[in-house]
Amino acid sequence: MEISLADLLAGVTATAAPLLLAALGETVTEKAGVINLSLDGTILLGAMTGFAVAATSGSLAAGFLAAAATGLAVAAVLSLIGTWLGQSQVAVGFTLTLLCRDLAYFLGSPHARQPGPQLLASPLPLLSRIPLLGPALFNQSLLVYLSIAAIPATWFFLYRTRHGLVLRAVGENPAACWARGIRPRLVQTTATLAGGALVGLAGAGYSLALKPGWGRPQGCEGIGWIALALVIFGGWHPLRVALGAYLFGFLQISTILLQDLFPALPTQVFQVAPFPIMIFTLILIHAGRNARGRKQRFLLRLFRGRPPAALGTTYRQD
Amino acid sequence: MQRFFIFLALCILSLLPALPAAGKAAPRADKFVFGLLMVGPANDHGWSQAHYEAGREIEKQLPGTRMIYIDKVNPADRPGITIPMLADDLIAKGARLIIGNSDDMKDGIREAAMMHPDVYFIHISGDDVLTGKGGRNLSNLMGRMEYGKMMAGFVAAMTTRTGKIGYLGPLDNAETRRLATSAYLGARYAWTHVLGRPAADLHFKVTWIGFWFNIPGVTSDPTLVSRNFIDSGHDVIISGIDTTEALVVAGQARKQGKKVWAVPYDFRGACAEAPDACLGVPWFNWFPGYRLLISQAMAGKWRPQFLWLGPDWKDINNPETSAIGFIRGSALSPAAAAALTRFQQGLADGSVNLFTGPLNFADGTPFLKAGERATDSQIWNLPHLLQGMDGH
Repeated sequence: MEISLADLLAGVTATAAPLLLAALGETVTEKAGVINLSLDGTILLGAMTGFAVAATSGSLAAGFLAAAATGLAVAAVLSLIGTWLGQSQVAVGFTLTLLCRDLAYFLGSPHARQPGPQLLASPLPLLSRIPLLGPALFNQSLLVYLSIAAIPATWFFLYRTRHGLVLRAVGENPAACWARGIRPRLVQTTATLAGGALVGLAGAGYSLALKPGWGRPQGCEGIGWIALALVIFGGWHPLRVALGAYLFGFLQISTILLQDLFPALPTQVFQVAPFPIMIFTLILIHAGRNARGRKQRFLLRLFRGRPPAALGTTYRQD
Repeated sequence: MQRFFIFLALCILSLLPALPAAGKAAPRADKFVFGLLMVGPANDHGWSQAHYEAGREIEKQLPGTRMIYIDKVNPADRPGITIPMLADDLIAKGARLIIGNSDDMKDGIREAAMMHPDVYFIHISGDDVLTGKGGRNLSNLMGRMEYGKMMAGFVAAMTTRTGKIGYLGPLDNAETRRLATSAYLGARYAWTHVLGRPAADLHFKVTWIGFWFNIPGVTSDPTLVSRNFIDSGHDVIISGIDTTEALVVAGQARKQGKKVWAVPYDFRGACAEAPDACLGVPWFNWFPGYRLLISQAMAGKWRPQFLWLGPDWKDINNPETSAIGFIRGSALSPAAAAALTRFQQGLADGSVNLFTGPLNFADGTPFLKAGERATDSQIWNLPHLLQGMDGH
């Protein structure tokens, strides 16, 4: 298949949009020291809820809001049990992802393969006519614009605001924050809820825009795990997380195109390629962190990133 | 911590009343119970739903029958679960006949049939009866969807403005090759015989996603493949997979002002997801085949059969008699519809036989000499795509 570069870029930007929202949401959550493993299930539940509400009410806005509320509700459960009751965040998150996935399939059954509203492209006047960049960046849906805007917004919040500083500090050393008069659990809860809402919104991004409709399979299964990997790939930094999301989007599209370039290779090679490439990237990161030699220092610089010191640990306020 | 465990204990206690009810599902001896194993969800608006609805119709029309079913029987949804395990489960619930509706259940159904010689088995789309690998209690059933795909290709070529048709293929095997090829032959006939254009100007691209529906990490994403088709100038997409991504993407593109169309597959109601983009749907009607085989089993007249049932040419959409059909979509133009009627008449009376030579395989080796007509066996076991098709 011959695709113009502009269409390829537009495809990558659109494909990566929901993944980007989920990964940025998880970045915010993890920066506060909370690991939310429920992403995969939350995305599916958000996709189902968003579609069901939008189809029933006829309002796309209601669908997106419902999906965000769903993500927020799942995150609230994680926060309650993990942050406030002091249980393992990993165990709770993993259980939630399975629960949400099955709930989505079960509750969404009446809406399977039904027609529903879709979020269409809203080209920006003049800007959408810019060669190459116009179709990629300015002839997209509101969801894509939101995902692009979320990158600098997240960066600005985390690194240029006092609240962002507090959030990062809690993720590093909640006890020290408590000593300084900050309430770490409240900060962690807020970050978890905000991150969860973004993850739920990502779900609706699939069922109302990228893969309109609901069904089993929905086509976004597994994306939550990729989002989690992207947060590590991006070294918990919003800009590098975004880069990873676009890389994954590019891999997904380009592997379809590569089938034509390498007809002798079995098609399955291209179908699974994006996933092992992501795993390979994670290995590179690991190598980068342990780099000692000169060449290895390059890797270190390229993939420099360190998890928040208190990530996944339970802070006991008393 | 203590509060959490109290909360957990309350949750478990609240579920206890449901347990005795779960144990009450005992088989009812007065019914002829048949079990259906479906590869996808029962409400997929595709292949599996077509089977599910045929089973429900059997319950209505054959007194004394009752269907039990397990859907989503595929490696992604039920990893580690084998067909013999599920067959054991259905038999324990009273099933006296079991239908496996996917080609990748072939080995499992054969094994289960050998383990349960007193239970009847139907394997959809398989050919164990032809190859002699099946036992006395195993039959095969398939519809001659080649006709439906020819109609799909025909309306695609009558509609395309760019001359580029995309075929969203599942995985590469004999069944999918003959169906993709049938669509191509239908398209080529419309392009050359009806529209009078050179065959070389028709581009027919096949992309295999890797399975019958999307499994992230295992298959290519059919939504992305469909979108790529459109981005690369293909304005009609014919779906060969069990789900409706091609139609959904085409519908989405139409809402954004693009002139594109799609032909979904399998299920007669498939056009409903995006009617304004739908040229029509070739659909399977499993009811006539089910009725024949289940009636024989109930009457004690079972014999192993390979049934490859065609359309009822008097009314190809007759739910009682036609094993395959073609529902016309609302996006089909009146001129294309009229041409399709003539094409169907030609297929019905035999004056149009698209598997007639000269036809070459994609690598240039001959398939059929000039004037030679393919046998059923040649079509069933088609080893390669044909020259003129772009696919790997």
